[in-house]
Amino acid sequence: MNDLSVLFEGVSKKYPHFSLEDIHLELPTGSIMGFIGANGAGKSTTIRILMGLVHQDAGQVRVLGHSMPADQTAAKLDIGFVSEDLRLYGAATLDWHMGFMQPIYPRWDQRYAESLLRRFDLKPKQTIRGLSHGQRVKAALLLALARCPRLLVLDEPTTGLDPVARQEVLEELMAVLADEERTILFSSHNTLDVEQISDRITFIDRGRIIDSDDKEVFLDRWRRLRLVLPPEVDLPRLPGIVQVGGSGRLPVLTTNTFGPAMVAACAQMGATVQAVDTMTLEEIFVANVHSRREGQPA
Amino acid sequence: MNLSMIRRLVLKDWYLYRWPILASVAGGVISLGIIAYGGKPGFHFGLTIAVTILAFIGALLPISTIIQERKEQTLPFVMSLPISYFEYTAAKILANLLIFLVPWLTLVLGGFALIMTTPAMPHGLVPFFAIMSMEILVSTCLIFAVALITESQGWTIGAILVGNLALNVVGYFVGHIPSIGSGLWGPAIQWSPAATISLLAEFALIALILGLAFFVQSRKRDFI
Repeated sequence: MNDLSVLFEGVSKKYPHFSLEDIHLELPTGSIMGFIGANGAGKSTTIRILMGLVHQDAGQVRVLGHSMPADQTAAKLDIGFVSEDLRLYGAATLDWHMGFMQPIYPRWDQRYAESLLRRFDLKPKQTIRGLSHGQRVKAALLLALARCPRLLVLDEPTTGLDPVARQEVLEELMAVLADEERTILFSSHNTLDVEQISDRITFIDRGRIIDSDDKEVFLDRWRRLRLVLPPEVDLPRLPGIVQVGGSGRLPVLTTNTFGPAMVAACAQMGATVQAVDTMTLEEIFVANVHSRREGQPA
Repeated sequence: MNLSMIRRLVLKDWYLYRWPILASVAGGVISLGIIAYGGKPGFHFGLTIAVTILAFIGALLPISTIIQERKEQTLPFVMSLPISYFEYTAAKILANLLIFLVPWLTLVLGGFALIMTTPAMPHGLVPFFAIMSMEILVSTCLIFAVALITESQGWTIGAILVGNLALNVVGYFVGHIPSIGSGLWGPAIQWSPAATISLLAEFALIALILGLAFFVQSRKRDFI
């Protein structure tokens, strides 16, 4: 867990209408990072830079010890990549794809590939064109998993899947996690999926990493406090409060540094703390994005 | 250079486009048969079919193997394999060239054989036929290069038009070079320095086009 599978240092990439700015990202070996951002936030660009498919304008990227994009050939030998916009050859069968990939990857596990075929209920002799969207995603996932990669990069793999297919894909990913040496970067705008499988979370918005930490730390330090203020008391500025909602004498404070001291501070100013609510990852993400956007121009 | 991956990608395109390859070879053989046994009308008809087959496969290949690969989003799959973009470029040029060479060689070698063995065919056609065959290869390389560099269907169709126009223009000018045109319908091969220079210029042009394609591709920074 001490060494890093992925390291981004000050990475930037400029497009005419979008730019990725000063990205710092660390993905320790054996961890599963959920990479969350709204559509167009920069998740796919970051992942394409990680894969060497897009060259960064500035900064250093190291993946499995290889410098990217220079050493991408060696790095990609140990990476399994599934992306929402990755398609297999429609006219060829899944069997052909497996035969094509097998000699490329020295660690290809044919027995595991066959077990995934059964688990995903895929027919190897069927052409990819004849598969449903869910089956195509599973086929791509099978090809990525059977090569036994040290790093699995999944860019919105569950987008467009029906609930059953999505759960099957997530369950398989969770089964893969049994291998502690395998590192996973899982990008999605669906926080529920990410929450299920990740142990680390990174939020990205408008081309900037806005927060990154262990999932449990996120869930522990983010809270909503529902207060009742006495009539003569105005709500003072409290440290660690990122959003103030509610109205008048019934404010709702959102904090990203929750602790007993915060409850004490509220009581000290005369407020009654009615409730301290935990927050879902989605609520944390939305609150995080809103608070950051308030502090920077759109 | 990852030669093993380049070989696999070339074989992949051969497999995926095996039916057009077979169809073009079968069409080529049929057109040669028409030229050989169809008399004067058969010569013109068979020649038209042969040139059409080469133009068709020369256009189909880059559109299917390069433009469609991007449009149908199979490019991210290929680029997720342990391969660099330079190697991808090499694989695409090799695959397209080698596939194209199958019907091209069938028709060129078959054409030479017909000229040399059919009594009605003047041997004097050989220099002109050689230059024009090579010109078809030049035009096809131009189409491959434009497709690879621009990855645009519009630009590729433009290159196809330019290639076909160039074929007619080159045919006209080569036919009007005195040392080539004068012996065109004669019984003996009249190989002239002009024919050698024309062929060398075509070889140089192919090298220049492919070299330019590699140069531009190696400077690209974004592939998806």
